[in-house]
Amino acid sequence: MSSQEKPLVVAVAGNPNAGKSTLINAIAGSRLHVGNWPGVTVEKKEALFDFEGRSIRMVDLPGCYSLSPYTQEEIITRDYLVTEKPDLIINVVDATNLERNLYLSIQLLELGIPMIMALNIYDEAEAKGYKINIKQMEETLGISVIPTSATRKTGLEQLLKAVIADKLVSPRTLNYGEDIETVLTGLRNHIQHEQQGLLDRYPERWLILKLLEGDTLIFKSTNIAVGSLPAELFDHLLRAHGDDIEGLLADVRYGLSAGLSREVLEKPEKRSIEITERIDRIVLNRYLGIPVFAAAMWLLFKLTFDLSSPFGDWIDGTLNGPIKRWSTAMLSGINAPDWTISLVNDGIIAGVGSVLVFTPVIFTIMFFITFLEGSGYMARAAFVMDRAMHVIGLHGKSFIPMLLGFGCNVPSIYATRTLENQKDKVLTALLVPLMSCGARLPVYLLFVGIFFPDNSGTVVWSLYILGMLLAVVMGFIFKKTLFKGESPMFIMELPPYRMPSFTSLMLHTWEKGKHFLVKAGTYIFAFSILVWFMLNLPWGVEHKRDSYLGKAGAAVAPIFQPLGFGTWEASSALITGVIAKEIVVGTMGEIYAPKKEIEKSEQPTVGQDIKEIVVSFGGAVKSAVSTLLYLPQKEEAEEEQSGLKEALKAQFTALSSFSFMAFVLLYMPCIVVIAAMRQEFGGWKWPAVAVAYSTVLAWVVSLIIYQGGRLLGL
Amino acid sequence: MNLSNLKPGQQGKILKLESSIGSIRRRLMDMGIIPGEIIKVEKVAPMGDPIEITVKSYNLSLRKNEAKGIEIEVLP
Repeated sequence: MSSQEKPLVVAVAGNPNAGKSTLINAIAGSRLHVGNWPGVTVEKKEALFDFEGRSIRMVDLPGCYSLSPYTQEEIITRDYLVTEKPDLIINVVDATNLERNLYLSIQLLELGIPMIMALNIYDEAEAKGYKINIKQMEETLGISVIPTSATRKTGLEQLLKAVIADKLVSPRTLNYGEDIETVLTGLRNHIQHEQQGLLDRYPERWLILKLLEGDTLIFKSTNIAVGSLPAELFDHLLRAHGDDIEGLLADVRYGLSAGLSREVLEKPEKRSIEITERIDRIVLNRYLGIPVFAAAMWLLFKLTFDLSSPFGDWIDGTLNGPIKRWSTAMLSGINAPDWTISLVNDGIIAGVGSVLVFTPVIFTIMFFITFLEGSGYMARAAFVMDRAMHVIGLHGKSFIPMLLGFGCNVPSIYATRTLENQKDKVLTALLVPLMSCGARLPVYLLFVGIFFPDNSGTVVWSLYILGMLLAVVMGFIFKKTLFKGESPMFIMELPPYRMPSFTSLMLHTWEKGKHFLVKAGTYIFAFSILVWFMLNLPWGVEHKRDSYLGKAGAAVAPIFQPLGFGTWEASSALITGVIAKEIVVGTMGEIYAPKKEIEKSEQPTVGQDIKEIVVSFGGAVKSAVSTLLYLPQKEEAEEEQSGLKEALKAQFTALSSFSFMAFVLLYMPCIVVIAAMRQEFGGWKWPAVAVAYSTVLAWVVSLIIYQGGRLLGL
Repeated sequence: MNLSNLKPGQQGKILKLESSIGSIRRRLMDMGIIPGEIIKVEKVAPMGDPIEITVKSYNLSLRKNEAKGIEIEVLP
């Protein structure tokens, strides 16, 4: 039966924007397993399933335009195909953009791996009046061609039927013209003579073609010295076509794809002005482009954070209210000691909470980002913003992650995925923490309320601007140091606008959210527990000063002396602020103005609690909806923290408080951001760089502020 | 004459890709920017860079700096 049989390994390859991931989602759906290709930030999707009694393992290869050795996606695709030797390739081709898509198909055929073509977006091509002669395509290419529409889920069954019915024979070889074929034969004989083994290890024709092209990666992996191939083999070709063999081959392949597309494709005489063109006349307009973009970004920001924050607050409220009450009741019921109750409530539940409160915002952002990308607007946003972002060595697509950073840095790190190039991704992620996120605001508000009551707005704004200016400076420095010499490029397709499929959107959003919960959640949770232990050890510690946290704070305090806040209290608050920067406020509250044991008032019953959870969830929905509709909402009254305010007044001056706020803005990103970076970049290298540079930067900037201010006599 | 000199609406025929642009050169060729091909400048971004072109009946954007490496002959 099928389960004993070895599964048929099917690799799915195609151009970006050819609807490849929608096709895979439509076929494999929830059976997809999402991970990363080893060592890189490129997503890897795989699925194992049965179709008509045949077990199939489907592997999604990253979208690419060619099999050159220049982009990560290309290298992953070709390495996989060459070394893993799948049984079959499904080449997903955009039927509305045949010529360019066939350029990759022709390169895939060079590998000699059995292939089937999914002629995707076929419905749209038909609607445009395109007539494609499928029969002729099949004959010319020697492979099955199945028209599909992944968004409408048509042709998918035929595609899978063709997969299991395929005879799995190598497709026919296309003729690249006499001049090239002669060299290929000569080269092949040479290799067979010199290094017979190579022809067994690599697809023969592909290897020879890559050697002819001078593909550096292939020369390296085959240990053939560059220039060691006998020159007389190439002589004729060079004389007839000049020395740009790479260019010649690109020309030949495009010649073949253009020829084929002319042969099989019939376009209507009169071309109607397409929707994409109409939209772009406004969206990319010289004068309207930026206002439209600004409006879109404002909406994105508003939707993401306003829509998600009531739910985040609801999760927070539920955990801190009813859930903690229940756990206390249960633990007291079995006579658990106080420290256990504290560990469960303030360690475990609080730790879980700090992960969970992020889920609404991550899900919402991933939804909108996927939508922006799938619809084609992301590429336009990059087009409009590239000039400005290029100044600090970034790509136009970096703008959105940076902007989202003002709400929360965590989803920004995930949003860097939309950047194609590793350098752009990493550089953007390194600069994102300089965008002052929402969690830093409570810290500013606490201090400006005390020290700058008359110009609080100006002071808060100055911090936001300080972060942005430093992003420009650091971007420039990173470009000249860490990423020196890497050639930036901006060669980006502007795909036609399309409505992304809803299932695909939801699946993608769900995958991202789940990933965050599991992977990043583990680190965040562990760190929260660690901080709990630091606060509560040694056992039975009376005064916070004597806890490990207080001791650690006291130990690092001298470092902050020249910055104007070298106290153990401030240092301890900064340590706990690593969990999330707003915790600085909470810790200061606990240290400076410990809460008196509140008389236990009447405890709500479980029934009342459940009712409260439901009612407050309703409140969250209402609040999310009303922000969308712009209904005014009652602001919650801020908790009075008069004890804390008095203590802070005694310990800080206006100058040292500004220095402290700048430090909170700049010092190491919170643990959640670090965990997200670790997850995205598959290692500790970049999170470590981020922690190191931002903390040093914070120290230097605060020093300049404090010492400079003192010189000025502030 | 290179691609960055074209104004929106103007068309040109690609003559040559400068070898000075390095690995970007192959990338451009992979995207269909090949000598002999007709290329049309559609738009210039609001801030003056990058530009949008059509080639092989699809839309592509690139920076002016990259466009400078594409030698063309203006078509009427």
